[in-house]
Amino acid sequence: MKGNVVVCPDMIKKRNGMPVPFDVKKIRDAIRKANDAARVEAIAPYQFETLVDAVVEAIPEGKTPNVEQVQDLVEEKLIENGFAKTAKAYILYRAEHTKVRKTEADLVDIYRELTFTSAADADIKRENANIDADTSMGTMLKYGSEGANYFVDNYILPKDIAAAHINGDIHIHDKDFYMLTETCCQIDLIKLFRDGFSTGHGYIRQPRSIASYAALACIAIQANQNEMHGGQSVPNFDYAMAEGVACTFRKEYYDAVQRYFWLEHDCEQALEEDFRQALKDAVPERITMANIDDYEAHFVKWFMECWEMWLKEKPKEQDIRRCHQTSVRIALKETDMATYQAMESLIHNLNTMNSRAGAQVPFSSINYGTCTSPEARMAVRNLLKVTDIGLGNGETAIFPVQIFKVKEGINYNPGEPNYDLFRLAIKVSAKRLFPNFSFIDAPFNLQYYKEGDYNTEIAYMGCRTRVMGNHYDPKQEVTCGRGNLSFTSVNLPRLGIKAHKNIKVFYRELDKQLALCCRQLLHRFEIQKKKTVKNYPFLMGQGIWMGSDALGVHDQVGEILKNGTLSVGFIGLAETLTALTGAHHGESEESRKLGHEIIAHMRDYMDQKSQETGLNFTLLATPAEGLSGRFVRIDRKRFGRIPGVTDREYYTNSFHVPVYYPINAFEKIRIEAPYHALTNAGHISYVELDGDTAKNPEAFEAVIRCMKENGIGYGSVNHPVDRDPVCGYTGVIDEVCPRCKRREGEPVSIERLNELRKKYPDVPVYLDANH
Amino acid sequence: MAGKVVPNNGQVGEHVKFDRIRRITGYLVGTTDRFNNAKRAEEKDRVKHSLS
Repeated sequence: MKGNVVVCPDMIKKRNGMPVPFDVKKIRDAIRKANDAARVEAIAPYQFETLVDAVVEAIPEGKTPNVEQVQDLVEEKLIENGFAKTAKAYILYRAEHTKVRKTEADLVDIYRELTFTSAADADIKRENANIDADTSMGTMLKYGSEGANYFVDNYILPKDIAAAHINGDIHIHDKDFYMLTETCCQIDLIKLFRDGFSTGHGYIRQPRSIASYAALACIAIQANQNEMHGGQSVPNFDYAMAEGVACTFRKEYYDAVQRYFWLEHDCEQALEEDFRQALKDAVPERITMANIDDYEAHFVKWFMECWEMWLKEKPKEQDIRRCHQTSVRIALKETDMATYQAMESLIHNLNTMNSRAGAQVPFSSINYGTCTSPEARMAVRNLLKVTDIGLGNGETAIFPVQIFKVKEGINYNPGEPNYDLFRLAIKVSAKRLFPNFSFIDAPFNLQYYKEGDYNTEIAYMGCRTRVMGNHYDPKQEVTCGRGNLSFTSVNLPRLGIKAHKNIKVFYRELDKQLALCCRQLLHRFEIQKKKTVKNYPFLMGQGIWMGSDALGVHDQVGEILKNGTLSVGFIGLAETLTALTGAHHGESEESRKLGHEIIAHMRDYMDQKSQETGLNFTLLATPAEGLSGRFVRIDRKRFGRIPGVTDREYYTNSFHVPVYYPINAFEKIRIEAPYHALTNAGHISYVELDGDTAKNPEAFEAVIRCMKENGIGYGSVNHPVDRDPVCGYTGVIDEVCPRCKRREGEPVSIERLNELRKKYPDVPVYLDANH
Repeated sequence: MAGKVVPNNGQVGEHVKFDRIRRITGYLVGTTDRFNNAKRAEEKDRVKHSLS
């Protein structure tokens, strides 16, 4: 201890910002209380005074500290001086108080805001942009959600974890669902349809046409969405739809053959079921779009042998060939039309059908692009065509998120079987923002890939979630029937700020947060484990989740849930690096290196945790929506406005180069790609193009190829897609609509629109009764 | 997205906004009206990336 007297600051800022006189007694009392609580760790009187002085001395001279800063210092000094148990008690004490402050009377205030404020004025009602919180059911959902959060914060979470969430060290995503369910699932439609299924009121048998395949795909997505808190994804959309297309093709072919004999040979008997059955029985292999010629040989042989059963006169062989060929042509045409309609209804359904008590449409994603059968290609071609045309008035479809799986040898280079679909996907994405692109050839995806097995092709959820590796069961490193269980994000920038440029301190604190997150994920997992099949009539009851078909209604799902992932995410690597080094990874090579080290460290931590527990702990580049503003709001209050760190309304998404930073597209891809390899729970990179560049397919393809060559896992190109609902123009609109020349909110005359329609047929028709 | 566009006195489009489709956390949203404050700020800050 120094001989001279320690100088206290005059004032201290309370949490509400009000300065009050500084009272050192409060520090003394707090430490004493914590020490009492720690029991076994007595602090001697002289040590006590040293400690208090050390705290006061550490307060920067000439500045008015705030309460949180002083509390940080108390924690720091307790640890520095070896009073670990007292420090722990102090942290708990602090946590408890944060919590009490936060929750007192909060719920009623929240309900009041939800009830009496419109979404336009209440940020709380715009946490998820795809939920309309102005509707009754949207508000009901928010009531439930806020009530559940209150309950979980106060009665379920361990105190330090609740406090860490409330004070913004971590963010427990979908905390309102803590007691209920898991995040998401990748649905194997092929498996589901093969056995038929039930959604609760009656059994649905295996569908027999592309129309039913598409309709039931929507039903399956919707049913699952109602049992989970995240989105739903179909990893093998083209493979699944191919089976539906094949059904329709067969049906159309048989129909056409029957009609041919009816019309050409006046044989009414051919229209009957006997004839159809005889044809099916006679030719062992069923007709598909891929075996048309082989089938012709069988068909001709069969008919020339048994013509007497159906016809009066022996037909010419040539005539039977013509029957087959005409029927194939008709069947292909009819099937193509039916497929178009099925894909159209799928997109319309997924944008209009409701889930969760009508509060939102299901968050759906479909992955496709690798199945090379003619049936699958027909499905994808039509899906892209429908997407290109848009909804009823030409609007861009918001759902499903479409993901085109890029794979060398299948669709990446000219001459490969699905290269035409890749090109079409680019054209559509340039107009409609979908599809996005995933890359099976990225080494961390390719390691699982087995040719011809869709289950080993990487798939992504719309939000970016990825589930593939499997520590729990290494024989099941597949996509279908698995998903994320829950995820929690670390406030990385705060660790950056608090480390005061000391990397060692940063890592020490980071490890603490990672440990806390993992402990919390396991706490939640313990709750999830005890659910039984009856809690998930569709997901588990219909055998969608891996291993659930072997369970009875009252069996717990704990064991099979282990195929899912527990993920720790992060936000704001850019701000973290700026806090640590003064520059983010877009600006400085050195930061790039450090950024990679930090994220690699986090990944190692998760891998180690997986080893320890036999569970799938994975690292996520968090898709932060509500969170993007939440952390920075709290941090700005606590640390003030730090340039490049807390001076904007949001923390930068995951490992992204900040959106405001001007950078070349290819350079951005090169900087972000290495993080894709590390974030095994999911990732996405965006490139922002202006409208004209995006319209240039060569430029667009160059961006996608650059992503692939640099080892990006999942990426997409953003460009402005605006639409004037009045004249139907889709494209970029700045201030004035380029087509009808109106400004936002201004009217145009019906005459003018009628005039425009002569040139642009998609201008909507308006009938004015009073005019 | 905009609701129904109804003509009035031979005019169409008074108070009707433009749809502006943007991607946010992987999902598309039909209008920035429902973005939360932080995401609105982020969307406003986005700069285009050059290809040369």
